[in-house]
Amino acid sequence: MPGASPSNVRHLLSRTLFGFSANDYEKAMGYGSLTSLVDQALLAPVPLPAAPNAWVSLVPAQAQQSSGDAGRWYTELTQWWNKRMYTQGLSMQEKVVLFLHNHFSCERDKVNYPQYMYQQNQLFRKFAFGNFKQLVKEISVDPTMLIYLDGNNSRGAAPNENYGRELLELFTIGIGNYSENDVKQAAKALSGYQVRGLTVIYDPARSYTNASLTILGKTAKFNVNSLVDLIFEQKATAEFICRKIYQHFVYYKADEVFVKKMADVFRSNNFELKPVFRFLMLSDEFYQPSILASRIKNPQELMIGSLKLLQIPVPDWNNVFELARTLQMQLFQPPDVAGWPGQREWISSTTYSHRGGFTDSLLSGKRFNGANVTGKLNPLVYARSFANCEKAVAFVNQLIDLFIVFPISDTKRAFLLETMLEGTIAANWSTNTPQADVRIARLIKAMMRMPEYQLN
Amino acid sequence: MAVLSGGVTFGIGSMPGKAFAQIPSALAGQAEPGKVLVIIQLGGGNDGLNTVIPGEDDKYYTARPNIAIPKASALKLDKDMYLHPSMVGIKKLYDAGQVAIAQNIGYPNPNRSHFRATDIWNTGSASNVVLEEGWAGRYLLTQYPNFPIQMPKHPMAVQLGSVESLAFQSDLGRFGTVFEDPNLFYQLVNGSTADMDAPPKTQAGEELGFLNQVAAASIQFATVIQSSAAKGKNSLTYPSTGLGRQLGIVSKLVSGGLNTPIYLVNIGGFDTHTNQLTQHANLWRTISEAVSAFQTDLKNQNLADRVSVMTFSEFGRRINQNGSLGTDHGTAAPMFVIGKTVRGGILGANPDLTSVDANGDLKFKYDYRQVYSTVLRDHLGLDNVRTATIFQSTFERLPLYNNSIEGMPEQHTMELLVPWPNPIRQTGLIQYGIFVETDILLAVYDIQGRLILNLFEGKRAVGSYSVTLEGSLLASGHYILSLQNLRGGRITRSIQIQND
Repeated sequence: MPGASPSNVRHLLSRTLFGFSANDYEKAMGYGSLTSLVDQALLAPVPLPAAPNAWVSLVPAQAQQSSGDAGRWYTELTQWWNKRMYTQGLSMQEKVVLFLHNHFSCERDKVNYPQYMYQQNQLFRKFAFGNFKQLVKEISVDPTMLIYLDGNNSRGAAPNENYGRELLELFTIGIGNYSENDVKQAAKALSGYQVRGLTVIYDPARSYTNASLTILGKTAKFNVNSLVDLIFEQKATAEFICRKIYQHFVYYKADEVFVKKMADVFRSNNFELKPVFRFLMLSDEFYQPSILASRIKNPQELMIGSLKLLQIPVPDWNNVFELARTLQMQLFQPPDVAGWPGQREWISSTTYSHRGGFTDSLLSGKRFNGANVTGKLNPLVYARSFANCEKAVAFVNQLIDLFIVFPISDTKRAFLLETMLEGTIAANWSTNTPQADVRIARLIKAMMRMPEYQLN
Repeated sequence: MAVLSGGVTFGIGSMPGKAFAQIPSALAGQAEPGKVLVIIQLGGGNDGLNTVIPGEDDKYYTARPNIAIPKASALKLDKDMYLHPSMVGIKKLYDAGQVAIAQNIGYPNPNRSHFRATDIWNTGSASNVVLEEGWAGRYLLTQYPNFPIQMPKHPMAVQLGSVESLAFQSDLGRFGTVFEDPNLFYQLVNGSTADMDAPPKTQAGEELGFLNQVAAASIQFATVIQSSAAKGKNSLTYPSTGLGRQLGIVSKLVSGGLNTPIYLVNIGGFDTHTNQLTQHANLWRTISEAVSAFQTDLKNQNLADRVSVMTFSEFGRRINQNGSLGTDHGTAAPMFVIGKTVRGGILGANPDLTSVDANGDLKFKYDYRQVYSTVLRDHLGLDNVRTATIFQSTFERLPLYNNSIEGMPEQHTMELLVPWPNPIRQTGLIQYGIFVETDILLAVYDIQGRLILNLFEGKRAVGSYSVTLEGSLLASGHYILSLQNLRGGRITRSIQIQND
């Protein structure tokens, strides 16, 4: 059983939260063991939050597109979710909601009604620690999904194959474990649903008329529930989903031996997610040195995490919203039905440079294009929240360990210390020395501009 | 005069001038330096049948009662085919002989998943082989053999956008420089630092090394990209669409002297499962307007000889419409190759809506790697050995360019490979293939077109042949190797003899 060492706790927090502040870290260490931290904090049940606004219950209407309401409401919904990530404390819930959003990827470009997207987002929250098989049943008749993958108005006689294909390929079994005919037959079984107002209706007359369908080798009069049950009887399904969890939370190249172990846990717990997450987070494999800092942060982790690290009281959410688009992770707008591929795909010459531009802006109060950013860091207030702040070497080392998971060499530590001291000697350092605020800001900027900062 | 090996006899004789045409003095078949390929990716799976329309085929109208394009409104091409009515600009280019439409392009055992299919097209693999390196990345490795140890002054590949395509990736690193706007990119990169220390050999160290490489390449190329954009110009105003802006930037960079062989631009939205008519029309209007502006701009700036455009999409769509006035994922579809050096026309038979595969989808006639191989060889000037290495097999080219081998592959009567090595110092290997038994003449000419050496003349049965040329028996200099037959075919290769 892995222990609650500072390194293990930081690793666990960096993988299950959108970053963490010094306070979050102290609080986590206070649980004394990983088991307590996982059971009492990270995976503890969290009630569903209140809606962002009253528009969530307005019946969707075409007029909301032309009036611009849909766009404004989407922004509100995004900021509502960003704030949830920022204020989640030690709960893993929002991180799992993002995982599920990425897994059951739907784009706002096609689903013009934020009401539906809000419903789907709450559905993910409801099932974040819940039963994945039940979630698949519910997502199959979820208004957002019906619109996004064309299940809406799909008739049994000439079904639209879009959802049937992606259900098998991306959401459950994975490519290679079903035939083209399975896709066509599944599309029939999934037909007959229509989005009406804020809900979904089923019209048997619009479903298929065949006496039976043969899917994945089984012949029956399938409906959505029995189709999903059949899919979860396939051995590949549990492994496919656990592989996805592993790749998202551990390392982008799956450890197939460990994925099989996760899949056993998943199956023996009737596809409940919580036992799988718990198994993962308390396993020796999760804390192997090779896993540490091997993940490239996604833009949400980078941005929300930087805000948390710097404990910015009132972040400039507009800045976050716009940079998320630039960094290729606009919430509710994944690139396609496969979601964000992650890891190295986050990084190109342009997004890498914009990442540095974002962290700079928290210190300079300016974006790269000169626009103002509100809520920038007060370096002195920030530094003085650390007991070590008057001891240069200890202070710099504490910040490095807090900011960066990747092992930092002594040479680089010395370079960062020098970046703050700039000519003075460590013994003369004090937060009262002239230009101390500039020096501290320079140190923080340098740490956040190091490529190591992009890894967690 | 020359010695052959391999038991092949040859005669030295005068050239039968009537039967075999005179060799041109120019080095035919050679790509000029500074050639540029612009790839347009059509994301989502373009509906080929509503793009290049079989307007005289009743089965097309039967299969698509609600979404077929009436031939009366479509733009008539040749061979009973029509273009989508919104492709007015591309039709004009077609009429000017600058658009080649390769029909029924695909590959065996097609994949209908967006993601796997896109990976196949980007890596240039067979459908049952998973490659992690892009085909363009493998091409660029032949052009920049010292990458990534030594970086060139100009970017090796430019992608307009944000997320780097798999096409540009390789095991050694990424070849693409990705940005949306040259000036913005320059401003952003200011402040980046790259760490040249070797990262530890761990999983995390591998990711760190990757991040360092991206940072270093950005720093390296941001300045030259910005200065090329500043030096370059557009001779006209591009349509204010995403694709229009992207092609406008490409033109500016080429015009400003950026020495980059491959550009990738993209337009998405082709996954037309529902109500596809309006969306598909808008997409092709956008492409048609952007591409014709681009071609006019290149022509105005005397750059048209250097640049060629190629479209691709991960798959075509099903023949039959679905129940939502759209089309689901299908298989083969046409590809467009556009430019001044293109041999315009419709290549290959029209889509066969009767003889379909087990899923009721179109069967492909030509492999997409035949198009890639043609572009690499006939436009970018890569030799056949390297081209074959990139795709792990030789793919017979299609007659897409003016300098391409004539006729569709099934009509080819012979093939002459690039002599190896070239320059020839002592001996050089000449390989050729005969696909149809006929009289041939294999000979060496000087640059003025005078016959210097007759290597073989007479009837040849179908088969592969090789001849060793003793370079020491010729004076140092440039020559033209020519293979001709009595069916009107002629292939030439430049060779250089270097006797130290």
